[in-house]
Parts: sequence; C-alpha cells; structure tokens
Amino acid sequence: MSILGTVRGALARVRGLFTSPDRDGELREELQAHLDMATAENIRRGMDPNEARRHALIASGGLTVASEAVRDQRSLPWVESIAADIKYAFRTLRNARAYTVVVVATLALGIGANTAIFSVVRGVLLKPLPNRDGDRLLYLRQSTDGPGGDNISFSVPEVTDIRHGVPALGDIAEYSPFTFTLEQSEGSTRLSAGLVTGNFFEIMGLSPVLGRVTRPSDDGPGVPPVMVLTQEYWTTHFGADPSIVGKQVKLDGRSVTVIGVVQAAPWFPNQVDALLNMVISPHHLSAMMIQGRTHRMTEMIARLAPSATLQQARTEVASTYARMLHDHTDAYDPNAHYRVAVMPFKEALGERASFTLWLLMSAAAFVLIISAANVVNLTLMRGVRRESELVVRAALGAGVARLRRLLLVENTLLTLMGAIVGVGIALGGVRLLTTLVARYSARANEISLDYVVLGFALALAIVLALLLSFAAFIPREGTLASIVNAGFRRMAGSLTRQRLQRTLVVAQIAVSVVLLAGAGLLTRTMVQLSEVSTGLKTEQVLTVQVPLLKFSAPNGATDNASLYRAIMTADVGNKARYDEMQREIRALPGVMDVGLGSTTPLHGADAVFEVKAQDQSLAVGEAVPRASYRTADPEYFRAAGIPLLAGRAFQATDRPGGARVVILNRALAEKLFHDENPIGKQVALTGELLKFSPLSGDWRTVVGVVGNTQDGSLDAPPTPAMFSPFAQELALGGALVIRADSNADRLATAATRIVRRVVPMAAIEHVLTIAQIKDQSVAPRRLNAELVSSLGLLAVIIATVGIAGVLAFSVSTRTQEIGIRMSLGADSGRVQRMILGEGGLLVVIGLTLGMAGAFFATEVLRGLLFGVAPHDPTTFVGVALGMAAVGIGACWIPALRAARIDPAITMRSS
Amino acid sequence: MSPKLEVQQGTLALMILKTLEGLGPLHGYGIARRIEEISKNRLTLNYGTLYPALLKLEQEGFIAAEWRQSENNRRAKFYGLTAAGRKQLARETREWQQTADLIAAFFAPKREAP
Repeated sequence: MSILGTVRGALARVRGLFTSPDRDGELREELQAHLDMATAENIRRGMDPNEARRHALIASGGLTVASEAVRDQRSLPWVESIAADIKYAFRTLRNARAYTVVVVATLALGIGANTAIFSVVRGVLLKPLPNRDGDRLLYLRQSTDGPGGDNISFSVPEVTDIRHGVPALGDIAEYSPFTFTLEQSEGSTRLSAGLVTGNFFEIMGLSPVLGRVTRPSDDGPGVPPVMVLTQEYWTTHFGADPSIVGKQVKLDGRSVTVIGVVQAAPWFPNQVDALLNMVISPHHLSAMMIQGRTHRMTEMIARLAPSATLQQARTEVASTYARMLHDHTDAYDPNAHYRVAVMPFKEALGERASFTLWLLMSAAAFVLIISAANVVNLTLMRGVRRESELVVRAALGAGVARLRRLLLVENTLLTLMGAIVGVGIALGGVRLLTTLVARYSARANEISLDYVVLGFALALAIVLALLLSFAAFIPREGTLASIVNAGFRRMAGSLTRQRLQRTLVVAQIAVSVVLLAGAGLLTRTMVQLSEVSTGLKTEQVLTVQVPLLKFSAPNGATDNASLYRAIMTADVGNKARYDEMQREIRALPGVMDVGLGSTTPLHGADAVFEVKAQDQSLAVGEAVPRASYRTADPEYFRAAGIPLLAGRAFQATDRPGGARVVILNRALAEKLFHDENPIGKQVALTGELLKFSPLSGDWRTVVGVVGNTQDGSLDAPPTPAMFSPFAQELALGGALVIRADSNADRLATAATRIVRRVVPMAAIEHVLTIAQIKDQSVAPRRLNAELVSSLGLLAVIIATVGIAGVLAFSVSTRTQEIGIRMSLGADSGRVQRMILGEGGLLVVIGLTLGMAGAFFATEVLRGLLFGVAPHDPTTFVGVALGMAAVGIGACWIPALRAARIDPAITMRSS
Repeated sequence: MSPKLEVQQGTLALMILKTLEGLGPLHGYGIARRIEEISKNRLTLNYGTLYPALLKLEQEGFIAAEWRQSENNRRAKFYGLTAAGRKQLARETREWQQTADLIAAFFAPKREAP
C-alpha cells in the first residue's frame, strides 16, 4: 500500500465532509452516460431499444445503489450521519424545553457536587506528592495511651536506634518544630519553623527554587545558622523578593542568613514558614537532647531503601522497637503502651481529612444516584410520548442500532450540558470546600479543577448518557406489527416499565432518608458542641497571648546550668513587663479584672508533665497521671470566670521564697485523690521529662481546686491541669485574661496598643474573645454539617420531584380508567385516596428501606459525632416524619388532579 | 457460459490501473467493458462497485478525471493515470506477482524432501 495515497485518500474524504452536494448532479450525469453507452451497445447487438435499456439497467445493479455507494466513498458517512443525529437531537431538545431544563438542572447538581468533591479528594488524597518519588516517603509516629499521647514524637537516641536497626529505611531525616520571633522594623511576628538535619531536603525530595537548601555540612555545632524559606512564606512575607538570599534576619535576637527558598510542598506535622539547621538552638545540640532517651522533640521522616518494601520497613521497625523497649525499661512505662507506627507520608498528610472527604464523596454519590434515577424516570415518561415516533421511524427502516444511536446522541447532549453547568457549580463549590479542608490538610492548596477532574466530570456524563439510552424503550425488529396493532397507547401502561419507575422512586426515598439521617446527626452534633460549657462562667472575656520567650544564653554555652541561669534572669525582666501591661490595661474603662498566666484558657498548647501525689499509690496497670502545667496570678481565675470549687485562689503572698503551693483543676484532683479532699495534700511534678526542664520536682501543697476548662477542643474530655503561682515560678510564656463589663471585643484594640508599647518587638497572638475561640472550635463541624445537610436537602428536593412526577404520569395514563371508576360510582374523595394510597405505599417502602440503610450507614459516622448516638431516636423519628410529610405532600398534587377528572369528558375523548 | 464471479476486494483497483495503462484515458463504461472482455465475461462489474473504486483511486491521487467528448460524441468523464498512479501500478504489479508466485508454489505438486 502506498502511505501517501492513503493519506491523500483520507484527506479527500475529510474535505468531502465540507463540499457542497452539487457533485451529485455530476455523478448522475456520469452514470447516465454509462447507461446510455451500455444501451447503445445492446442495440448494436440487435436488441430492441426497450429490451436494450432493461438489460443495461439490470447489469448496472441499480443507479440509486451506485450513487449511495459513491456518496459513502466521497466523505465519511458515519461522521455525516452523526452530525445529522446531533442536529436532530438539538431540534428535539429545543422542542422539549421544560424536559431539557429539568434534566440538565438535575444532572448539573449531581455532577457539580461530585466534581467539586472529587477535585478535593484528588488534590488532598490521591494526587502524587510534589516531592521527588513521594510514594517512597515514610512518616514514623510514636504514641502512648492517655492525653497528649497520640503523637509524642521521638528522642534522638530513639532515632539513632531505628536508623541503625532498620536497613529497609534508606535514611532518616530529623525534624523538630520550633517557634521564633522574627524581628523586623515593621513589628515582630512569630515564625513557625522546623529545625532539620542536613539530609532533610534530600530525603524529602525537595529542591530549591532559589539559592540552596541545607545539606549535611550544615549539621553540628560551630557552623553558622542558616534558614531556608518556604515558597509560600517567601511570597506572602517577603513579596517573592529574589534578593532575600544572602540577607541576614533576626530570629530571637540572633542573626541568621537566608540561604534559599524551597519549592512549594505540603508540610507535616505542622505548617512551617522556614527551615533551619539545628545550630540556632543550643538546646538541640546539648547533651540533654542528644542523650536523653525520653527527651522527645524530634519527628522522623524516612525514605524507603531502593529495593525495600513498606512491609519490610514495618517488620524491621517493629523488631527494633521491641528491642528498645526491652533494653530501656526505665524509659518506657509499660502501662502507657508505647507503640510506633510506620505510614506512607502521603497517608499521614491525608489522615485527618480522609474520613470527612470520603464521607462527603459518598454523600455526593448518593445525590448523583438520586438525580440519575430522576432523569431515568423523566426519560421513561417522555419515552412513552416518543414511542409512536420511534415506532414510525423503525417502520420506515431505521434499525435498532440507528435508533439507539439517535437516543445516545440526544442523551449525551443532555448529560454534557449537565456536566458543563455542573463544572460551573463545582468551581464555586471548590472554593468553599478548600477552606474546610485547609483545617485538616496541608495539601488544600493543591486542589484545582484540572484535566483529571474535568475528565471525571466527562466520564460521569458519558456513563449517565449510556444509562439513560439503555433504559429507554426501543421498538425491536419483528415486534412492530404487534405494537401498531395494539395501538400506541397500550404501550404506556407497560407493567415492567411502571415497576421500574416505582422501584426508582422507592430507591430515591430510601437514599434520601440515609442522607437526611446523616445530616441530622451531624447537625445535632454541631448544636450539642456549641452548647458545651467552656468551663468559663462569663463570655465577656478577651484573651491576649504575649509569649516573651527571648533570653540570651552566654555565647556558645549549651550546658543546662548556664541555660537555666539565662532563662531565670530573663524571667525577672519579663515579669516586670507583664505587670506593667496588667496595670495599664486594668486602667482602661470597662475593664473589670485582668489576670496573668502562662497561657490563655481554651488553648491547649503547653507543657505536659507526669504528676504524683504523696501517699497515693497507682492501681496495677495504671499509667502515671499526666497534667498540663501552667501558671496563674491571683486574678487569673476570677478574670477568666473559672469557678473556684474548693480551697482558695492564689494570693499576693504566694511569692518566690514562700511555701510552694498549687491549684489543681477538677480533672486532676479526681484523678489523683479520687473522693478524698485534696486541700492540704502534697503533689509534685515527676517523670523523665522533668529532668530536661528548669522546673523543680519539689513537693507542693494543694491550696485550691478550680473547674475544668475545655482546652484544645470542645469535644474532648477535659485535660488534667496544675497551676503554680505566676509570681512564684517561671512565667512560661505569658497571657492576659481581661474581663469586661460588656463587649469584650471592643477592648481588643486598646489592649493591643498597650502591649505593643510595653514590648514593641514581641509577637501578639490569639487576641480573641471567648465567644470567638468557641466559634473557631465549632466552625469546621458546622461547615461539615452544613455541607452534608445541603446534600441531603438536595436529595429530598430531587426525590420529591421524582415522586410527584411519577404519580402525575401514572394518573395521566389512567385517566380513562379513573373516568370509568367514577362513572361507576366512585366519588372524587375515593379516587384521591386511591392515588394517595398508591404514592403512600411507595413512600412507606422507601422509608422502611431507608431507615434500615441509615441504621447501618450512620454507624460509620460514630467518630464524627459528639453528644449524640449513631442511632439517636430523636434524629431518626424526625427524619422519618419529615420525609413522610414531604412524600405525602408530593403525592397530594397528582391525587387532587385525579379527583378532578370529569368522567364525562374522558369517556367522550376515547 | 461459465458462472459469473464477483470481483475480489483489492484486485479491482489493480485491474483499473492496468487497463488505463494499456488503453490511455477511458470513461467508466470503457473501463468496465475492457475488464469484462479480458475476464471473458466471467466478471460482472455493476456501477455500485466500479464508481466508488474510481472515486477512491481519484481521491488517492492515482488517477485524474476530466470531462470530454466520447467517440460517439457524448459527454463523458474520462479517467487517466497520473504519475503517482504509474508508480503505484508498478508497485502493485510487483507485489501481486510475488503473491501469485507464492500461492502457485503452494498448489504445485508436492516434491518429497530428499
């Protein structure tokens, strides 16, 4: 074969698609000439003219057939006929405008919801990481039982053991979260950073977009501190200024050189602004850090060795870890159940978002099922009206395949229009979802409606088009006669079709019920959560966190004693500043009390230590109680509105040099002393971690018990907490709690101004009222509940249209029958009841199935619920009543119409 | 009269090209007559077979068409070989010869292997 010829042929045929049909005349002339010549030849052979022509015609094989064959050769017949189909489909849909609008809208909602949520699922869970060979990145996590035990990170000796004991891990990078104050002329800000080993970027598979990243030569003491900015921070904070590389910035008073900007990537376990080598923190190079097995401040990120598998890594880590527990019994309290998990980095990143996302994805899938069912129903009903047309077309010679293709083209047009509108809806939805997901995942900025997502929407449209086309009726060859004989109308009542329609309605109701039940439970969770008492009696409280952590260690000193001395010296100065702020804010109009403490209430970010009580022994198998350790001044509890349950608050006499006293919160008091009165008892900080802190393990006398506060989150059990007098111990950060007589948020500006004046370089955080803190804590749940509820509502609306439509159709095909019934004596009330009963039966079956489904489906929600059981009777009864009311309401309109049928008119019309 | 044969797929193009090479530009009727004569009337060529084949060759650039007066003064469309057509004919002839030899070898009396 000649390739050139083939190409020329193909091109000519494509050209043929666009040339005018005047070539038909030419062809006719050519064929006629041929026929004439053949006829003439026959006459020459002695036939009479008529006979000659007849023979020539027979030999030709038919002129029409020939021109058809040439026409097919001239261009691409399949393209031409599909183009004709599309033109025809457009015309049909234009004539059925109401049907088109309803179908496109229904499909757009279903496809839009799914596309939006899929784009999020893809961006956050499925897309490959931007890191080189991101699938081979692993994250290791150490956990224990008890509060704060979900992720206790690792100590350097533990990292070393695993590095040497696990060949399946190629190498391990160490990462330690750290917060600095970045001092700039325009005011100081907090900089969230990671201190990393030199191999960090190599293992993470990340490259610089500017300058360089850290490397192993940046490890150890005696090197200058250097900083790599994340692309995001560089853009938002330095305006993407390329000249930043090589410049010096001040972190906590120390000069650090910016050496580069690293490519955008999701950060874990926390979002960071910059990454530094360890030398910036003398503590990270101290013997305490490097040798203390229980000094856990390090995250481990590893890369699988070239030929190793995840399973191998898991097995090896498990055996190394078991050996560690065995060799160092003093470091691992067996009652706390120390354990380690090895998981792909990508999984760790998506862990918190994945459940919510798959939940939303399945809710959206349910909506799509319901809308598809509705569209199938609509198509079936329309199909009845079109049947006569299809039968006529079949009778005129259109084959089954041709008719099916016609329907397919028409349905594809519909679903594509639905997909286009749906993608438009998704564009809006994605923005909303991104804000939700940003709370759960570092990958929220990777969400986009890219070609894969568009492909997903297209695939949905095509699958739906196929589904619709095969649900429709097509007259089969050989059955035409019977259809025509029976009269077209008989077709409408086809039993199998009605059964299909009814099944679809039942399914719609059932699926709606499942969605509604889920939405109901999540909404109740949200309501319950916002009703949780924070533990603070008054809401008119403004909190301001002003962490003054800066201290200057004697140059190069890393031993504990000199570090502590430096901390203590800095503390005295800091306390004077806090006192000044307190005094000035107290003088503001409307301020009732101003308390000082280490942290604001409701923020659970502080040190957790083990605590022991004198003369109290632990039950067998009970882990040593852990409590968060804070400081508070005499006014703190009153200002925050935390109730004093027993004993006294702190007093001005609780000063350095005085007797060491503490106040416990109720959770800790109960944990340590059970039913006994804790006042006057002795407690002390204890445990391995204490060794690494400047706090003392001396016995302290309990002087008071205060109420619990919901620190961290509203849905967790209260954390045990122990308070020391602010003046007696290290301040440990610092926070102001301001109670106002009204509108605490109005004080925010004035209070911030005072703080800014006293400590111009300090970072000021969490300037929030209690109401705002609470709102922030409930917000993700609210958004979640709102999303599922709107999907549920969507489902109900679509299902309602479905029931009403199917019943209305049923009534319209039974007009005659109803007419007969009425003329035989049935009154309109009876007819109405009959139709209502018919619809009601569908509603009841759907409800029953839906309830059974919801009973199982809501079980998976258990982890997301708070203060409400998965089978909460109130929710279930509410959903059942609501759905029944909506369902019966939907049946009412067709029933009324049926009751208004005039028997005389229907009888006459047939 | 021997039974009529349907023209085999793919061979018609070769026959048309060969005919045009031998006789020069011809109209459709002439081509059909010539092929039927050569086949001793064993082949029948109806219009539905012949004209799509001619169009295909024209599209592929192997023949070119032109309206002319026929021998009995009738307007007819004449087809003639192009340069590309001549090349194609040479190539196809060669290929056909090889195929024919191959098939012939299969049907030749079997010789025992020594």
